[in-house]
Amino acid sequence: MKSLLSLLIKGKKLRHPWPTRLLHWSYAPAVLAGILSGFYITRPSRVHGFTNMDSARKTHFIAQYVLISSYLARVYYAYSAKNYREIIPDLKDIVRMPEFLKYQLFLTSKKPKFPKYNPGQKIVYTSFALLIPVQIVTGLGLYVTKRFQKPATLAGGLNPLRKLHYLASVSISALAAGHIYFALTDSLKKLKSIFTGYK
Amino acid sequence: MQGKTNHKLLEQLIPRLLKPRAGESRPPVIWLGTNTCAGDMLSLLNSLDPGYRSLLTDLIDFRYNYLLGTAEGDMATGILDETMAELPGEYILVVEGTIPTRSNGLYCVIGRRNGEPLTALQAVRELGASARYVVAAGTCAAFGGPYAAAPNPSDSKSVQAVLERRVINVPGCPVLPDWLMGTLAHLIRYGEPELDDLNRPKLFYGETIHNLCQRRHYFDNSIFAKKPGDPWCMYKIGCKGPVTFADCPYRQWNSEHLSWPVKANTPCIGCVSPEFPDGDMPFFEHLPDVKLPGIRTTADRIGTITGVITALGISGHMIGSIVTNRLPHTLKKGFSGNGMLQKLLKKLR
Repeated sequence: MKSLLSLLIKGKKLRHPWPTRLLHWSYAPAVLAGILSGFYITRPSRVHGFTNMDSARKTHFIAQYVLISSYLARVYYAYSAKNYREIIPDLKDIVRMPEFLKYQLFLTSKKPKFPKYNPGQKIVYTSFALLIPVQIVTGLGLYVTKRFQKPATLAGGLNPLRKLHYLASVSISALAAGHIYFALTDSLKKLKSIFTGYK
Repeated sequence: MQGKTNHKLLEQLIPRLLKPRAGESRPPVIWLGTNTCAGDMLSLLNSLDPGYRSLLTDLIDFRYNYLLGTAEGDMATGILDETMAELPGEYILVVEGTIPTRSNGLYCVIGRRNGEPLTALQAVRELGASARYVVAAGTCAAFGGPYAAAPNPSDSKSVQAVLERRVINVPGCPVLPDWLMGTLAHLIRYGEPELDDLNRPKLFYGETIHNLCQRRHYFDNSIFAKKPGDPWCMYKIGCKGPVTFADCPYRQWNSEHLSWPVKANTPCIGCVSPEFPDGDMPFFEHLPDVKLPGIRTTADRIGTITGVITALGISGHMIGSIVTNRLPHTLKKGFSGNGMLQKLLKKLR
């Protein structure tokens, strides 16, 4: 077993340390469960994989707790390990964006090399980091409506809060779809690293 | 049977509760009508147990009522000045309707004083400053409601927005007679009731319509009405019950407690909420419309457009990747490029 493991990781570069992987596999299912149950709650239909509102709501609430805790843990880890610098786009990314877009739009066959994440990934991950708090706050407003009536007026009331929650979830869903697509098709070595840690 | 007994008990109890105690006088009440459809006053007239007559004889001393008062002109406005001067801190001010603030409030003139127009803005500010309690009757007075809806040419505002003191909000479009009668009775007999974050009495607005709804089990089991008139949960046709705080499901309308919108097979439109009506329209849609500069569309359409763009983007990129041989190359490289799979199989053997 040990030799198998050494074969798998020998000479490989650590891409995702275990806390990153653990947290990724905590919030990823929570986001997907939240999206599917959330769409069911907005527009009940069996297409979303639920047969009744009761089970969809329970799933949504469990996903909400997992997402909140794993998101907070990820923010803490990003801060303590300083790896947020790998995620937030900087000036270099803006400068290299045309090069990245040229490749993605098939205008060149030369694949540009980036340190860890390309500018597109950075934008997607930063958008997740910004949209998930919106989703948490608006979701809590709808979950504990009595306590959040006054803060909800900042969004215009509980009805506009519902709308904001829906629009944020639509954005997260689109980003998640893009993220999954590129994760599956860009590089299988990188895809493997989110499971094993090594590229 | 038990309900009938309880009802009989209430019939006997209510008059006793409302009768002024020894030495207690009926507090003076001023009811101003500002920019209003008069629906709230008309709704109050439908009150039963106590009825309007009992309200006048047992509970309050109506000094001024814009709709039912017989005095007019200087005589009517004179009562307002008289009450302010003689009974400061004693009278209850009830306001029905929004307060127009544009052009110094000239969009609503409630009478004339010394030959000059007396605006609702002026009257509410003056009377509100020395009232014992200020009650906003109906959604317009409480939060703006339909009379402050877009484009709101008179720049109408709620009572709270023009006063610097606490206003007790009793919203509803119109207000349910019990909500207003109950609030007035509580103020007179027991003082200020417990209020929620939006200054509404928790007694009537303490729980969501959704949690009190008789059709809640249909919601939990996803048995939904497809159109108004269906006898199931109204959620899919825009019921605002989950985000509306009121006791309509068990109190019901009017004072005979006969029915309410969902029982009549139509969705709740959330008329007691501060965002009503602009913030929760269309009434028969689950989510309010999305307003962008120059565009107004449904939230569902935004969701559909986003979904289509995402699907087109992903499928377009995938086709491009296949045509340019990028995807086959990635897969080939991933599975056999470094020979990892072969090494692994060899080791296992």
